[in-house]
Amino acid sequence: MVDFARVQKELQECNRDIEVSGISVNPKSDNLTQLIGTIPGPLGTPYEGGTFTIDIVLPDGYPFEPPRMQFATKVWHPNISSQSGAICLDILKDQWSPALTLKTALLSIQALLSAPEPDDPQDAVVAQQYLRDYQTFVGTARYWTETFAKTSSLGAEEKVQKLVEMGFPESLVRSTLEVVGGDENMALEKLCSG
Amino acid sequence: MEDGVGSEEDYYDSDRESLDGLENEESDPQWVPAKGPSCKVITKESLLAAQREDLRRVMDLLSLREHHARTLLIHYRWDVEKVFAVLVEKGKARLFAEAGVSVVENHDADSPVLSSTETCDICMEDLPSSEVTKMDCGHCFCNSCWTEHFIVKINEGQSKRIRCMAYKCFAICDEGIIRTLVSKRHPDLAEKFDRFLLESYIEDNKMVKWCPSTPHCGSAIRVENDEFCEVECSCGFQFCFSCLSEAHSPCSCLMWELWIKKCRDESETVNWITVHTKPCPKCHKPVEKNGGCNLVSCICGQAFCWLCGGATGRDHTWSHITGHSCGRYKEDREKKAERAKRDLYRYMHYHNRYKAHTDSFEQESRLRETIREKVSNLEERDSRLRDFSWVTNGLYRLFRSRRALSYSYPFAFYMFGDDLFKDEMTNEERELKQHLFEDQQQQLEANVEKLSKFIEEPFDQYDEDKIMEIRMQVINLCVITDTLCKKMYECIENDLLGSLQFGIHNIAPYQSKGIERATELTVFWSATANDTGKFHKPDEQTGGTTESDRPSGSGSSDDNGCSSRKRAREGSFGGSLFDLNLPADVIDRN
Ligand SMILES: [Zn+2]
Ligand SMILES: [Zn+2]
Ligand SMILES: [Zn+2]
Ligand SMILES: [Zn+2]
Ligand SMILES: [Zn+2]
Ligand SMILES: [Zn+2]
Ligand SMILES: [Zn+2]
Repeated sequence: MVDFARVQKELQECNRDIEVSGISVNPKSDNLTQLIGTIPGPLGTPYEGGTFTIDIVLPDGYPFEPPRMQFATKVWHPNISSQSGAICLDILKDQWSPALTLKTALLSIQALLSAPEPDDPQDAVVAQQYLRDYQTFVGTARYWTETFAKTSSLGAEEKVQKLVEMGFPESLVRSTLEVVGGDENMALEKLCSG
Repeated sequence: MEDGVGSEEDYYDSDRESLDGLENEESDPQWVPAKGPSCKVITKESLLAAQREDLRRVMDLLSLREHHARTLLIHYRWDVEKVFAVLVEKGKARLFAEAGVSVVENHDADSPVLSSTETCDICMEDLPSSEVTKMDCGHCFCNSCWTEHFIVKINEGQSKRIRCMAYKCFAICDEGIIRTLVSKRHPDLAEKFDRFLLESYIEDNKMVKWCPSTPHCGSAIRVENDEFCEVECSCGFQFCFSCLSEAHSPCSCLMWELWIKKCRDESETVNWITVHTKPCPKCHKPVEKNGGCNLVSCICGQAFCWLCGGATGRDHTWSHITGHSCGRYKEDREKKAERAKRDLYRYMHYHNRYKAHTDSFEQESRLRETIREKVSNLEERDSRLRDFSWVTNGLYRLFRSRRALSYSYPFAFYMFGDDLFKDEMTNEERELKQHLFEDQQQQLEANVEKLSKFIEEPFDQYDEDKIMEIRMQVINLCVITDTLCKKMYECIENDLLGSLQFGIHNIAPYQSKGIERATELTVFWSATANDTGKFHKPDEQTGGTTESDRPSGSGSSDDNGCSSRKRAREGSFGGSLFDLNLPADVIDRN
């Protein structure tokens, strides 16, 4: 059984210094087993200026078993799957300690954004690019941050414009956006998967 | 050093008789097996004590508490020598750190905490000091959180290495605390935890293995010096300690594995079929060639050409089939078939001999019975002949030599074949070595057959002089076959396997007295069992006796006789010049 008393305390604790850390955790459902965390992209990285949301699911054994976390925001990073948002981080696996908290875990993820470990990749394509063509990697990562991690509400035409700039034919962009009801993230996913 | 040990010792006096005339041979230092007998049977009852022996050594040397010693030994896979080596090489601090042992330097560290409440960093509750526990590493959390952590880890199968809950703390938790806390909430889980710890001694230990008998007899065997050896468990099962299959020396484990597979495989038969038959072009059944000419006919009536497999008419001469001229005959095809045939014959050659000896020793029990009859017939006769140990000794020698001989065939099959060592020897070298080996093998074989012939003679019906003559022959042949076996093993170990560059093959050393029978581990441990003693449930103990009550060696007058008391002598030095299986008075004489 999840230790809800502790989770409650964790939430209070975390949201108390939200001004300083920028990290927040909020319940997604009533029962506190599903939460949403947000972390600001670290300064001086291609993720700067973005706000990244992370889906959190607490297993029954929490905090004696690690929380399950994955990116809800699309990220271009060697240790995070560009497809699913899955994170490759030791403390979310065998190095988890019950003394860690959701906040410390999110801080570790933030640290991972600043210091990728391409030798232990989650996304092989990104890791390859990181190692072989760092400039392009930075460009793509920044672009993804601009596109997916910024909470600006773009107008329909701007969305079309952005996707066309990414190299997709305009007619296809328009029809795809229509199909997904104007959600540009979903449209991109569809366009990418062909 | 041999004082007072040999006299009461059970031993198998196999070739004692032969000492009369052949003392020189027997006392030759080369005769002594390099490794002393030292296999122990570990039963459910003695497992704890066996473990404690090693724990004690580490505890004494490093002045550690038991749970720290256990953590250390689990980490170093129960290799006490390794622990000592790391200690010398890297020092105590590194030794402990690598294994996750944290010894509290000053015990007052716990006492100054006088505040009545503590905050547990896991559940974030304030609790009275009585409800928190500090581990040796200094990290302190509440009992409820510790318990939860232990339960999760035990269920994950990590009982043997449960780490502290603090982030980046690699200390292993005190097993006593784990046991106490877990048993309060889940007594059955605490028992499981204990079992895991206990069985680590077998599962994580290179020198201890479960007896592979089926159904499992419940015992494990511990060897002392060399994992390449053959042992007999107290349940009677004999096996190769290294690969856990039947005893197979002088074959190496890999050779034996290959051989078993080869014997089981249909591939040889498949090979035979491809060499000797061809499918009928009409009904596709394999058809055997049954004469010299190349026209074969199937039972379905179809005639075809053996060379190309094509359907033909029936008119033919030796060299030509009417209306059929195939250009598909190819030299290399024939060569390939020849080669397959040669390989097959080679295999059959070795397999037949291997099988012949295996079959003969499978008749052991029958022969043993007739020998017993003969001996009792002789004993009934009023004669000056009293001692018939030479008969049984001869019989055992026969069986042992036959085993060695039998397994020497698969050995030779691989040693001189292409499967394993093709690139290790030139053809000339190989031929030379093969001759050397086969000479020895044939000598041994001839003497084994001779021995077998004498033993099977109806000597119980002969007169005394004739019996004395047979006795001399048997004793003689015993010594000779024993020597030859030993030499064959030496040749294999030194000249054949020893000279390999790439292949690493080990064989169990030759044991003149037969496969060593592991003896019950004799231990003396007090009934003041501490915490771990409690899973020695009384109902699990045989007859409620403790280990120390049990007569050591339990006098089972085992033929191979290695009593547990041997250790006293064996401990002296590695290259002991004494055959530990010989009685002390014999050694004295030498
Ligand atoms: Zn707690
Ligand atoms: Zn600790
Ligand atoms: Zn057994
Ligand atoms: Zn083996
Ligand atoms: Zn046919
Ligand atoms: Zn013919
Ligand atoms: Zn033909």
